[in-house]
Amino acid sequence: MIVPDSVYGAVLLSIIDFTLSIIMITGIGVVLALFPLLNRLGKLDDEKIRKASH
Amino acid sequence: MFEQVLGFLQAMADQTGVAHFWWGNVVMIAIGCAMIGLAIVKKYEPLLLVGIGFACVISNVPGSDLILPGGLFNYAYHGIELLIIPPLIFFGVGAMTDFGPMIAHPKLVILGALAHLGIFISLIGAKMLGFSINESGAIGIIGGADGPMAVFVCVKLAPHLLPQVAVAAYSYMALMPLIQPPVIKLLTSREERLIRMKQMRPVSRLEKIAFPIVMGIVVNLFFPPVAPLITMLMLGNLFKECLVTDRLYKTAANDLMNVIIIILTVGIGSTMNAEKFLTFQTIEIIVLGLIAFLGGTASGVLGAKFMNLFLTEKINPCLGSAGIASVPIAARVAHIVAAKEDRENLLIYHAMGPNLAGVFGTAISGGIMLALLGVK
Repeated sequence: MIVPDSVYGAVLLSIIDFTLSIIMITGIGVVLALFPLLNRLGKLDDEKIRKASH
Repeated sequence: MFEQVLGFLQAMADQTGVAHFWWGNVVMIAIGCAMIGLAIVKKYEPLLLVGIGFACVISNVPGSDLILPGGLFNYAYHGIELLIIPPLIFFGVGAMTDFGPMIAHPKLVILGALAHLGIFISLIGAKMLGFSINESGAIGIIGGADGPMAVFVCVKLAPHLLPQVAVAAYSYMALMPLIQPPVIKLLTSREERLIRMKQMRPVSRLEKIAFPIVMGIVVNLFFPPVAPLITMLMLGNLFKECLVTDRLYKTAANDLMNVIIIILTVGIGSTMNAEKFLTFQTIEIIVLGLIAFLGGTASGVLGAKFMNLFLTEKINPCLGSAGIASVPIAARVAHIVAAKEDRENLLIYHAMGPNLAGVFGTAISGGIMLALLGVK
């Protein structure tokens, strides 16, 4: 269903969009909060990576 | 014979631009010069304003071939219109950006959504003024303060409004050091602006490499309409963070970015022709764009203050204003406002977190908007 072309539609679109944006960006925040867990996989040494590429 | 000479001179004059010069051109030339002046004297985003201002001046000199079909400025504009330039801008921005502050402080990421209420205030305002729902969406997205995203969404929703929307978005982005501080000061107390943030944790190389890959998957999975921009942003960032493509990342962040900025600014400036631009509709869009920026700044600051009600470790509410996407202008403004109260309060690194989240916030808002309006 497409949003109606009226002021009501604009308000509806705004409410849905703003609410979903907050939910989605909170989801991204949650994913980022889990990022430190990646460090359990090991550590990458910047110098070693740079040397390996030359 | 005298009459014949006069006739020749008259015919020659008709072929020059002088015969077609009108007061609208004078107004727009003055606006273009004012932009260049702000860039040189006030140092307001010179990389954007000098090119836009100069192209604005030239496009208002009747007879300028550069803006006509086949002219170089016209080709630059086609690059924007065909959505070639916006993803390339994001590619360069990704290569220039350290997403560490965003990864290190995920709590602040939500400010990237809260600071976008301005989009919806101006969307509803535009609809009330009689714009169609698609046009209203294109005008509202100016409030995301993300130039390439505003161009991208506008081309999809209302391409005929591209000149006004692009000019409003980029001009307000450049003028953010003027627009945001009064709003921040109005909504915060001195004590709040003095709040110092705790030092962030270091972000490992593995996290920095994983970030663009994870975000690339998330954005393409959930927001395909705006995925081209964020995907290019993430590709540029991966080139930077993986440490094995230094040549590519340096090219993307420097030479390529500079070329794209030149194309972008002259492309936008060349659309500021008096005949198209000096209309009541443009004034409406410019005013709605300003409302969107003011509303976004206010909602970001108020959002940060709202978060403080629940946080034991308070955040500086100036950070909320940085949730507006314009990177790194909004972060710099938040830092400067806080630094005016306490010179040693280095907020810039912390402000980059919500600022970068704002890029994703605008993309998400734009993606949801396109999906709800049935535009692919």
